[in-house]
Amino acid sequence: MFAFVTRRLVTTIPLLLVATFLIYVLVSITGNPLARLATCTTCDPAAFQRIIELYELDRPIPVRYVGWVTGAVTGDLGTSTSLGAGTGDVLPILIDRAVNTAKLAVPAFLIIATLAISLGVYSAVRQYSLSDYTITGLSFLGISMPVFFFALLLQVVFGVWLRDWVDVKPFYVAGMRSGSFTEYLRSATLPVMTLVFVLTASESRFQRASMLEVIHSDYIRTAKAKGLSRRRVVFKHALRNALIPLVTIWALDFASLLGGSVVTETVFSWPGLGPALLRGISEHDLDLTMAIVLFVATLTIVFNLVADVLYGFLDPRIRYD
Amino acid sequence: MTDLAGPELGHQHERSVTPEVAPRDAFVDEVEGIVVHSRSFGRQAWDRFRRHRVAVVAALMLVVMAVAFWVGPKLSPYEFTEITIDIKQGPSLSHPFGTDPIGRDLMVRTFHGGRFSLRIAITVALLTTAIGTVIGAVSGYFGGLVDTLLSQLTNLFLIVPVIVVLLVVGIRWGASPNTVTVLLAFLLWPQIARVVRGLFLQYKEQEFVLAAKASGAGAARIMFRHIVPNTFGPIIVNTTLLVGIAIILESTLSFLGLGVQPPTPTLGNLVEEAKGAIDSQPSRVLLPGGFVLLIALCINFLGDGLRDALDPTSRRVRG
Repeated sequence: MFAFVTRRLVTTIPLLLVATFLIYVLVSITGNPLARLATCTTCDPAAFQRIIELYELDRPIPVRYVGWVTGAVTGDLGTSTSLGAGTGDVLPILIDRAVNTAKLAVPAFLIIATLAISLGVYSAVRQYSLSDYTITGLSFLGISMPVFFFALLLQVVFGVWLRDWVDVKPFYVAGMRSGSFTEYLRSATLPVMTLVFVLTASESRFQRASMLEVIHSDYIRTAKAKGLSRRRVVFKHALRNALIPLVTIWALDFASLLGGSVVTETVFSWPGLGPALLRGISEHDLDLTMAIVLFVATLTIVFNLVADVLYGFLDPRIRYD
Repeated sequence: MTDLAGPELGHQHERSVTPEVAPRDAFVDEVEGIVVHSRSFGRQAWDRFRRHRVAVVAALMLVVMAVAFWVGPKLSPYEFTEITIDIKQGPSLSHPFGTDPIGRDLMVRTFHGGRFSLRIAITVALLTTAIGTVIGAVSGYFGGLVDTLLSQLTNLFLIVPVIVVLLVVGIRWGASPNTVTVLLAFLLWPQIARVVRGLFLQYKEQEFVLAAKASGAGAARIMFRHIVPNTFGPIIVNTTLLVGIAIILESTLSFLGLGVQPPTPTLGNLVEEAKGAIDSQPSRVLLPGGFVLLIALCINFLGDGLRDALDPTSRRVRG
């Protein structure tokens, strides 16, 4: 197991380097970071020169990339030019944003996992029933739903129609409020609902397929033939095995949730990683963009690895060697 | 919804009780005295598709929308960039979808947007299929370096947040429908490539390939004349589903202001233009956004029906 984990980590490092290098080059060639200053006629040319030297803009991109990697390895992620007061350190901004994103991601994930299991199991056990068709139809709706549209739909329903027609506003349609728990709930509900709706659709379909496969296997027939109760067969025998394939999906989904959602957070003005990334890219804030990319990529790798290790514990038939 | 049609048994032969006159595509079973119609693969596929009611309805709705998008604007007295004095109107008889702050008719704009979005999405799907099929075929047939590269690339796409690439390239080269098309195709091809690769791994060991080899066919001939036709079913299904994915991605990109730029309308940038007016004119957001949802939904159902029809071996339990 230890050897497996080590080998996996060692093989992902080159991948991580390639990925960050590609993004570094892409962002670096996207625009001239001095473009905004270039229009300034009253600026001191010496100041220009100092900025070029400070950010090593006169050196080739690969050289700058090596500089960035060296910094990142030693915990120095550079300075942000778009967020934070003046030129702020990237690290505190990253942590702050990641915490805000987690405030949506953690509750969303818990709800998604619970809902996906219940809906998936229910529609698998009652295959071809009316409720199965309803759940399948709803999940088709979820899979086809553009995230931005669902988010705006919630804003229209809760921000416009409810206000106009019954004069109540149970939830905030924009911004994060964390003064008290109620305030947090009121501001987080709609973005969490968006994340839940979109992700539950695909997860519950997966859960249903996995459950159906198990239900039709021989040992379940044996369990039924032994005279075990339906509940015992479904939850004790079938579900335990049907959950195993879900682990990978959960890991990937949780990682992507924690990495921030550009659309949901942008629509609801939630100060998480998504809008920060959007801002970093559109304002050529290289260090901020790279920090977020590094964070998201690392999350994906770590959670994938965790999923594989968990897989081994849950399913003894899988061996790592 | 794959399972809507239920298990399928005993439909291979249609039985008729009048044995006397046998149509051209039928023969009389002498022993049992019944007429057995032989049905071509296309006929069988059509019969399977027809039984997936939701898919048939979805296909019809897609046709209706396409006709509306392409023909609708021609019947309207307004041009999609035409500015009138009716500003910020709600839906009415003369402007069924209302007008925007500079008085442009929103029905014409939405239909034009639908046309652009649909055209981009279909082009993306076809381009993606072409690239993905060739790479997947080479990777599955030859293995080796291409195969290693493909699997590493898949891993790379897994850890690089796709949205970053979309955003960066969108900012750098965005603006035109063509760049958006190429960009989306570039991002989506590994999906098709993996499917085709899997099919190739399965087929390349089969007897008909061996027979082709024995009769001296070259690698390219075996791949594209012998194996690829066998993979048409899954490929068509995946291409269809890709249209749905592409239309959602394109509209999301446009919604973030990074896709096709105004004044060219797409369903996504129409929503983007309207989101500031969500308070006063919610219909401006709901209509174009609703079309994206409707198109994607119809395409997903259509893809599901096509899977039943063209890819019958995959009718295992599936979600």
